[in-house]
Amino acid sequence: MGQAQAANGAAPAFENPDTLAEGLAKHLGRVAGGRVTVDGLTKYPAGFSWRTYSVRLRGYPPAQEAILRVGPPYGLFAPYSAMPEFESLSALAQSRVPAPRVYLASDDLSILGAPFFLSEKVEGDTPLPWGTQSQRLEGERRQQLAEDFIGALAALHKFDWRATALSRWGDGVTLDNAALRQIDDWERRFRRWALKPHPMAHRALAWLRVRAPKAERLSLVHGDYRLGNFLERNGRITAILDWELVHLGDPVEDLGWAFLPQYRGGTRLVCGLAGEEEFLARYQSLSGLTVGPETLKFYIVFSLLKLAFTHMAAARCFEDGLFNDMRMPAMATQIAPVFRQIAKIIGASA
Amino acid sequence: MNNSLERLIEGMAATLRADVIPHIEGDYARGQAFGVIYMLNSLKLRASWSNAFLLGQLRTLEEASGALASLAAELPGAPLPAVATPKDLPDAAELQAARDAGDAQMCALIDWLVQQNGERMDAVSKAQAIVDEYINKQTKYELTTGARPMFVEMSGGAEQG
Repeated sequence: MGQAQAANGAAPAFENPDTLAEGLAKHLGRVAGGRVTVDGLTKYPAGFSWRTYSVRLRGYPPAQEAILRVGPPYGLFAPYSAMPEFESLSALAQSRVPAPRVYLASDDLSILGAPFFLSEKVEGDTPLPWGTQSQRLEGERRQQLAEDFIGALAALHKFDWRATALSRWGDGVTLDNAALRQIDDWERRFRRWALKPHPMAHRALAWLRVRAPKAERLSLVHGDYRLGNFLERNGRITAILDWELVHLGDPVEDLGWAFLPQYRGGTRLVCGLAGEEEFLARYQSLSGLTVGPETLKFYIVFSLLKLAFTHMAAARCFEDGLFNDMRMPAMATQIAPVFRQIAKIIGASA
Repeated sequence: MNNSLERLIEGMAATLRADVIPHIEGDYARGQAFGVIYMLNSLKLRASWSNAFLLGQLRTLEEASGALASLAAELPGAPLPAVATPKDLPDAAELQAARDAGDAQMCALIDWLVQQNGERMDAVSKAQAIVDEYINKQTKYELTTGARPMFVEMSGGAEQG
């Protein structure tokens, strides 16, 4: 379960900590032009998608400690490419968005057996949306984190991607079709992941298609911007993480996702950080964008549907025997509650 | 439920064996966990999803099919679902296949209704309302027949009040 095989029948390098460290050291040595040692490989327990490790490096000039991310062929959103995350983070190094610096990446399977990238190890902890009441964000800490969270989002959406290597991502994406392209993209995933017919998914997709808004601006969109995907140190956000769904699109898409009830950490606040009005006022003032209520509603429904589809991906991975992690079928039980939330918003519920 | 019962049981046993038992202290406690695996494996050979649960879903489909059939004359060419609850009690796999086939018909109808582009608006709206009511009943049914979520416990590894 959850094991890949290389073409010669042997387990690929990333499946074993020793061969993973060895493969990475060899590759870094080639890149750096000298002997590189990799040790202290420690896997982080979270995540169903990319595997994340902390590593110590010797002989590699850019860093002595780093984060290694590996995208296994059976991950939730597989097949993977390390390039979108690597290219976007490389471009954002020149921005005001707090994000890890990236050192290198490759989709060449002959190196570790799976796409991977190496980035800066940023210090900090991750507040989670599903914590208990005692873990809620309060007082000045909450206010400062809210400022950082909204400020980073506005900086991301103001970022001039056209002036960077990301300009080639813009082929075919327009203000008019940004929303429809995302609907098409997620519908393709839905058809790959669904284990049974879902009338509600068809109903919601139809609702979204006739209401797809025109974007006010084409921005770099994080795709999973929420509580749980940033690092905090001394009450400040030190890095926004998990850029695997990054793409060009309507910036309001990120707001729709952040506004989901699932990420409110047991409060009424957006991501447990700020009230809706306060969030919108601050975001609009910093980004220079206007967030219309209908556009926000559209992207909240789109985000809920995206969440339901992600739960279907979990069901599919588990059913296909790719994982035995019991969190996956548990996630799948949340498809119906998410559908119910969609029905309430689009008026399909009695 | 979204996953098959067989796969759920198989995954539960594998998780206990690989991720839980190695961390349990004491022979007695580990023995109990192996007992749970044994019983899960026994259940896997004999259990299936409840016929009563699947029949509940099929009855809702039948009800919606009947309501939509009354619109047949107003919606010529519409792929209206035709689902009847079986009179006898087939096994769960047959019921599940019948439910999925009915839901596939419902999906086809939803897609067809969207393509009507303003034609036969009255009948299309009536059909849409029946479809919405159907979806509403099915999601409510699934929610009322599901267990209390335990995500906080699963995340923190401790019992919550």
